Amino acid sequence: MTEKWVQCIRLKEPLVTKPFKIMVGLAGFAMLLGILREVSGLGYVTGLNDGYAWGLFKNWNVTALTALGSGGYAVAVMAWIFNERKFHPIMRTAVLTSLVGYGTGMVALGIDVGRPWNFIHILNPKTWNHHSVLLEVAVCMTAYVILALNFENMPPFLERMHNSGDPKKSEQALKIFHFMQATFPFWIALAFVLPSMHQSSLGSLMFLAGDRVHPLWQTARLPLLYLLMAYILGFACVLLVLILSTYVWKLGWDAAILSRLALVMSWLTLWWLVLQFVDLAYRGVFEMAFAFDRYSIVFLVQTLLLLLPAQALQVESLRSKPGSLFRLTLILVIGGLLYRFTPTSIAFIPLGHYTYFPSVIEILMSVGFTALAVVLFLYAVKRFAILPASRGKIAAEAAIRPFDTL
Amino acid sequence: MDVNRRDVLKVLLGGTAMTAVAASTAHVAKAEPDVVPPLEDAVGLLYDATKCIGCRACMPACANANGLPPDRGTSHGMYMQPEALNSLTKNLIKLYVAPDGHERSFIKQQCMHCVDPACVSGCPMQALHKEKYGVVGWDAHLCIGCRYCQIACPFNIPKFEWYRVNPKIVKCELCRHIVGKTTSQPACTQVCPTHAVIYGNRSDLLAEAHRRIKLRPGYYFEDRVYGETEGGGTQCLILSHVDYSDLGLPKMGPLSNASRVRRVTNIIYQGFLTPVVIYGGLVAIIRDRWKTHLAHVAHERANHDDKGIHA
Repeated sequence: MTEKWVQCIRLKEPLVTKPFKIMVGLAGFAMLLGILREVSGLGYVTGLNDGYAWGLFKNWNVTALTALGSGGYAVAVMAWIFNERKFHPIMRTAVLTSLVGYGTGMVALGIDVGRPWNFIHILNPKTWNHHSVLLEVAVCMTAYVILALNFENMPPFLERMHNSGDPKKSEQALKIFHFMQATFPFWIALAFVLPSMHQSSLGSLMFLAGDRVHPLWQTARLPLLYLLMAYILGFACVLLVLILSTYVWKLGWDAAILSRLALVMSWLTLWWLVLQFVDLAYRGVFEMAFAFDRYSIVFLVQTLLLLLPAQALQVESLRSKPGSLFRLTLILVIGGLLYRFTPTSIAFIPLGHYTYFPSVIEILMSVGFTALAVVLFLYAVKRFAILPASRGKIAAEAAIRPFDTL
Repeated sequence: MDVNRRDVLKVLLGGTAMTAVAASTAHVAKAEPDVVPPLEDAVGLLYDATKCIGCRACMPACANANGLPPDRGTSHGMYMQPEALNSLTKNLIKLYVAPDGHERSFIKQQCMHCVDPACVSGCPMQALHKEKYGVVGWDAHLCIGCRYCQIACPFNIPKFEWYRVNPKIVKCELCRHIVGKTTSQPACTQVCPTHAVIYGNRSDLLAEAHRRIKLRPGYYFEDRVYGETEGGGTQCLILSHVDYSDLGLPKMGPLSNASRVRRVTNIIYQGFLTPVVIYGGLVAIIRDRWKTHLAHVAHERANHDDKGIHA
């Protein structure tokens, strides 16, 4: 049975459930370990070394989670630029996944850097190195979270403020909302430009490493491939979150929205693969993909993990069933994340004899910061009107929704 | 005005076309805008592996001059024996023996002080920077400890103090804290008994290297100096009779990775013109979308007699 999502509802479920407690425990433990890391030095708590200076924190919590957190950006492009208005009801979910993904990614970045107190210099543009791709990533990400993502996530918060029963607060909320309405295009355009810049720059980041990244991954087209992959993973993350939410909280299933999202994601993935293979051929390293060494095998696995689900999702019946859509999207996400992971890990070739595998503490911290994202998501959907619902469900809700235009 | 998908594509294509035109004209104006030539007064080292006897006198001299305790590594605490460059070792002499046992050469590892260094290009805060005489220096008060320099360096030189709360990046800075003050040259060249490693102006060192090659044609590997052009050139130059890549020196073209990144960045950004043009176009599109969206919502509300109030 398919329904039509039209607006957002707040889940009337108890917040503190058993899974929530586990997630809070994991996140809290990671925070404690984070303090331990700050007073001990990176070598004691991680498996990082002079050959593999970047590990799980940068690969998973920053590069991967911000790619998964590109949902707000990707869906917004569909809703606002390509004017597919049916996507508006899932915008709140999408921008929330972005906020929690980027937010916890930046917490992990703060843990990962060795001399975080010197971050203060980022306030002084005189000390900036204008050629540094990493600086661009850092500044753009921070600006995106502070200026754009916070703005995009305001409406549910204002709505709650408006409905608090305090006339003063209610008036304040309306005032802020009017300001938002008046300046809306300027912020949303920022929410497109900034992530385009830093998601492509995450690719340029590894371009500087030159021959230290295996030729199957190293290319001048890294910025484009990384940017497109951010779209793909962003769509995928929103899909997975929505499918899980509809399953757990019985929200009803809007086949039109989800199947359309999956189709766009599938086409993007196929184009992405074409682009990648054209680039391989253009650089004359095509045969390396079939050398069947360690790199070639990882590359082929990555390609299959992307190609097979993308091809399957072209089939309407597989797209419209929650079970198959969930499984196929999950496989595609694994393939996409493998691509984002590889240049800094498996395909990274330091000179000399170095190996890296994350330590137990490192894994616990990384999992914990991911759990923090889940905790924030669960808190938000049970306190604010975020998740999409059909007209019937909304009528059952008595709350006034003055801001459902966003 | 209602903007449809075609208009969007027009704006996006327009932006792309503009940047493409700008890119091509920029290309015509300056053929090689990104290539950095070496400074005229650039200093460096010339290490001639065929003169090195492997005494390793340069290693404790380096450690002493830089206030580093000896890395006893694998020697069971007896003497200085680092396995690789690390946070205690800025300079290391290693021996290469070919698998057949016939060919052997020492190799001195330390920062190559690239003409256009990847670490300096990547460092977000100018903590790593080119200073006087082209020496690549590191400033503690600007470094955030991101370790991008370790990812970027093609020679795998910068090392990190993994076991300290206040970690530093450790690498050869050509004794910049003493040269010209208490000494006239770095510690390693000062103590080298065979002058296998010498210090001087890069152009002089390069001339000296070519003189040696000319004296014994066919003796040095491919009759060339490593570092003359590799990766945009390095200020520390190496001579050996053994294949340079066997000595752990990466094969690199004449273009530095830093300049290749600058080139790609310039094509995409056009001196920040691209983001501004796209931002402007997007504001125009979204402003229209926003108006129609509000009208649409008002219409839907009237139809469904919703409880929402107009904001």
